[in-house]
Amino acid sequence: MTMVEAIRDAHAVAMERDERVVVFGQDVGYFGGVFRCTQGLQKRFGKHRCFDTPINESGIVGVAVGMGAYGLRPCVEIQFADYVYPAYDQIVSEAARLRYRSAGDFTAPLTIRMPTGGGIFGGQTHSQSPESLFTHVAGLKTVIPSNPHDAKGLLISAIEDDDPVIFLEPKRLYNGPFDGHHERPIVPWSAHPLGEVPDGHYTTPLGVARIHRAGDDLTVLTYGTMVHVAQAAAEETGIDAEIIDLRSLVPLDVDAIVASVRKTGRCVVAHEATLTSGFGAELCAVVQEHVLWSLEAPIARVAGWDTPYPHAHEWSYFPGPARLGAAMRATMAVK
Amino acid sequence: MDREPTEVDSLRLRIPEPKARPGEKPVFRDLLIDRAGEVRRPPIDVKPVDIVDLGAEMIRVLDIHGEAVGPWAGTLDAEQLRRGLRDMLTVRIFDARMLQSHRQGNTSFYMQSLGEEAVACAHRRALRPDDMCFPTYRQQGLLIAADYPLVTMINQIYSNSHDPLKGRQLPVMYSSRDAGFFSISGNLGTQFVQAVGWAMASALSSDTHIASGWIGDGATAESDFHSAMVFASTYHAPVILNIVNNQWAISTFQGFARGDSPTFATRGHGFGIASLRVDGNDYLAVHAVSAWAAQRARASHGPTLIEWVTYRVGAHSTSDDPSAYRPQDEPYIWPLGDPIDRLKNHLIHIGEWTEEQHQECVAEVEAAVRGAATEAEQFGTLRSGHSAPASMFDDVYATLPDHLRRQREQAGF
Amino acid sequence: MSIHILRLPDVGEGVAEAELVAWHVAAGDTVTSDTVVAEVLTDKATVEIYAPVAGVVATLHGEPGDVLAIGSDFIAIETGDGTGPAPVGPAVPAVVHEVPTIECESPAEPSQAAPALSTPGTLASPAVRERASRLGLSLGDIHGSGPDGRVTHDDLDRRIQSMSAIASAAEPTRVPIIGLRRKIADRLTVANSRIPHITYVDEVDMTQLEEVRRSLTTAYPEQPRLTVLPFVMRAIVLAVADRPQVNATFDDDEQVLTTYGAVHIGIATQTPNGLIVPVVRDAQSMDLWQTAAELSRVTGAARDGTAARDQLSGSSITITSLGALGGLVTTPIINRPEVAIIGINKMQVRPMWDGTRFVPRTMMNLSSSFDHRIVDGWEAATFVQRIKTLLEQPAQLLIPPPRP
Repeated sequence: MTMVEAIRDAHAVAMERDERVVVFGQDVGYFGGVFRCTQGLQKRFGKHRCFDTPINESGIVGVAVGMGAYGLRPCVEIQFADYVYPAYDQIVSEAARLRYRSAGDFTAPLTIRMPTGGGIFGGQTHSQSPESLFTHVAGLKTVIPSNPHDAKGLLISAIEDDDPVIFLEPKRLYNGPFDGHHERPIVPWSAHPLGEVPDGHYTTPLGVARIHRAGDDLTVLTYGTMVHVAQAAAEETGIDAEIIDLRSLVPLDVDAIVASVRKTGRCVVAHEATLTSGFGAELCAVVQEHVLWSLEAPIARVAGWDTPYPHAHEWSYFPGPARLGAAMRATMAVK
Repeated sequence: MDREPTEVDSLRLRIPEPKARPGEKPVFRDLLIDRAGEVRRPPIDVKPVDIVDLGAEMIRVLDIHGEAVGPWAGTLDAEQLRRGLRDMLTVRIFDARMLQSHRQGNTSFYMQSLGEEAVACAHRRALRPDDMCFPTYRQQGLLIAADYPLVTMINQIYSNSHDPLKGRQLPVMYSSRDAGFFSISGNLGTQFVQAVGWAMASALSSDTHIASGWIGDGATAESDFHSAMVFASTYHAPVILNIVNNQWAISTFQGFARGDSPTFATRGHGFGIASLRVDGNDYLAVHAVSAWAAQRARASHGPTLIEWVTYRVGAHSTSDDPSAYRPQDEPYIWPLGDPIDRLKNHLIHIGEWTEEQHQECVAEVEAAVRGAATEAEQFGTLRSGHSAPASMFDDVYATLPDHLRRQREQAGF
Repeated sequence: MSIHILRLPDVGEGVAEAELVAWHVAAGDTVTSDTVVAEVLTDKATVEIYAPVAGVVATLHGEPGDVLAIGSDFIAIETGDGTGPAPVGPAVPAVVHEVPTIECESPAEPSQAAPALSTPGTLASPAVRERASRLGLSLGDIHGSGPDGRVTHDDLDRRIQSMSAIASAAEPTRVPIIGLRRKIADRLTVANSRIPHITYVDEVDMTQLEEVRRSLTTAYPEQPRLTVLPFVMRAIVLAVADRPQVNATFDDDEQVLTTYGAVHIGIATQTPNGLIVPVVRDAQSMDLWQTAAELSRVTGAARDGTAARDQLSGSSITITSLGALGGLVTTPIINRPEVAIIGINKMQVRPMWDGTRFVPRTMMNLSSSFDHRIVDGWEAATFVQRIKTLLEQPAQLLIPPPRP
């Protein structure tokens, strides 16, 4: 199953189980979304459960906040994460704080889905990774799956969660596990074990990381597309890296991070998003707070450059396996 | 024939100015006011396009003699009117008491609704208890007219140990689902589109409750206003969209948000939303039009945009001084008068109220407010002590996550 | 602006590593191509390293005491020109292994103070700091062998080893064995453990030679003072002509014995830093005076540290002498890979029996060790006997053999 199919399936499972789940966004209803993640839902559940909206992100999220306050569980799609900014006030000032400011009188159990990240020659407005704009906000949960299996389980968890969840879908992973080797043929999910998605209802808990690859030499803390880049980098460098797929940034599985870095003593943090004030900085801080005395070397960060995402220079921008591998080698070289 | 611009004509902008600034003679020359009873009352299923004239007119019921006239009159009996008067008196006396309390240091901040009490009070009485309002910070009348306990309001204002919001919110940013009063954000305009969402949810759930969204004249310039309008229009959301035009957004006169539109109500026309303009200081008109819009929404005929024309007599907040930006005597020449006086006069005019009764009522309300304040002070004030800070880590999420548990421990709770 | 990186050059003869003795410059110093930037020590000698270019020192790699791989980055110099940062020298991974150290600790202060987790100025990874803290070690007292003097886990290991080694000694004074002393230790350890020594001691009647030496000294007062050593050297030159297998080196890894036509005599010499072995090359081509002069030159250079590396290597047989001390008998350890070492003991007048009576004779013992894998006992004895004869009848030492 592709990640698109897994997300579609998660919607269907959640809508089937709970009538309060409604799905909407631009092109989401009849057409089924520009990435086809909601295809068939309107036909199956009707126009009152899955519908199109005006091109108005603050409206989509603002309406969802009102619906959540009423008692529904809206799951909305922002067509690209790059388009979410008009809705930022509704997310940050409203959805994230509603429970708090009303002392639980009103809540906003929404899921806000959005394709994130680069790798599709989308240029600056279809490639951004804005996760840290959400992880910085108290009251939000932020989730990024790296594979179809987790995408379905995490999305069902997100929809069933009583708090607002930002659900970032690495768009380059929709149809196959991309390891940064853009010059190679695309590998389909059908050829990958994590492309096997169980039928029916299951959840992947928020706040629990997954060890993507066990290793002893070095810990790579990452998520989304970079999980597969890290896998390639480990294979290409021969470094016995432990790759932690965080899956959920908030809440963060600190225990998994601590256990791994305590074991390896070395840590590389990787994300597609720009470096400065990226989520990697938070990860570095967590590692030093909890396992400083196990560190054999400074924590390295591998991230997108601090520039807008440049269209034609995608592969100079994207932190591929060569860049990650070099950082891993350098971290291993510290005596 | 128009003169063609020449090459030497440079471009110019208009920077709007109010008619009068401090020291100048206040005027409301351009305020479009119809005589009471002259504006028609359409059926609730009217097509918006068929009432575009009502966006520029002003629905009024009470005439200068205190008579209720025209097709919008007759929605309230004498008992309801006396209750309405008492609601408004309560708001006014409560505001006065809280301003005094602010100066005593019991709270950090207060916002009164002096002069515009009729809008919220009459509107709330036109709704059903389970209808949900998404108010701004100047609709305390919605709570009072919903018989929300005054002491609970003061507990919130004082951020004391009985503050239902646990000391987290700025004073007057109330929240009460039970009273049909959505949590006030403080960010302007955000609630307007949320009201539309709530209304949509109610309809999607085959419920019968409607939503009522609120926004000030200044905040209609926010994009969320337009988001709300387009969503309400697109889905025929069962929502009342209230614009309280009290002429001033802090120091910014309503001309900045309105631009060259003749009224705020006409903003609805482009969206195809039924739009009405109402004398906001006329308790009877406010009630009648609110009831009409509520009926229309409940019958799934779609949303109604209502511009309530009123005047903010007091300062924007305790942090504001209007004498710095508008003529000090402007409130006294406001052509729509005072809502309490007008309803009182009407009740006296129809033989349902006397000056003695009025003074008695004022005394009762003052006592009630004083009693509530005294009771609330027993639970502490912002100055004397407030709610337990340990609770500040609660309600960020449904369940306390590990990172907040660690921080709470670090904070020593 | 560019960075010129000097990799540690081969300062010996195919040596793989060298010990950094001292930096003569610091980061930020301006250097010219004539500036000595560091001294390093190979198995053979202390060698000065010159700046390869003019510029400003950017980075120094290693701390005194570090053993650096030949070809590893040694010093980075920022130059003002536009040349690229291509490193100078052979490209070899920087294999840096650390010098075993025995730490010097103040005996007056038992280490009961709280462990200094963050001794100011001490570099160490958090993991090393944590471990040091757990062990109750103060990082400030530990020599850091890592880059920029960073204390490593290996440094802690050595510290722990050294602590357990002296744990029972009361108030020990401990000094690190580094530099030349460590070289000596390493070499002697290897020589003693790998070579099965046979030590042969005989006594030599030096009476006649001493008379000759005194008369020569008197006759040529302008010449350097003539000691016994040049005579012994001459004797060795003549003796190895009969026993060439003792003038040889044995590569016991390759199992190859190399014998030499020339006689390069190493002179084990005590210097302020310890024992080193300057070499008098081609002693077979020298007469007594030349031998004496050359001996004086190389030992002097060795003592004042100015010996060139080729003066400190390449010997084929070695003499060791304790001079005025010297004792009765010693058991010299062979200067590996050589196969023979001739030890000179103290000269003294002893009563000797001439068959009828005791007569006073100036006597001196020779304690000579041989690699028993190469040199049989009989050969060793014969060789020493030959030297003994030559010294007791010194005419042959003075007069060249007749031409054929």
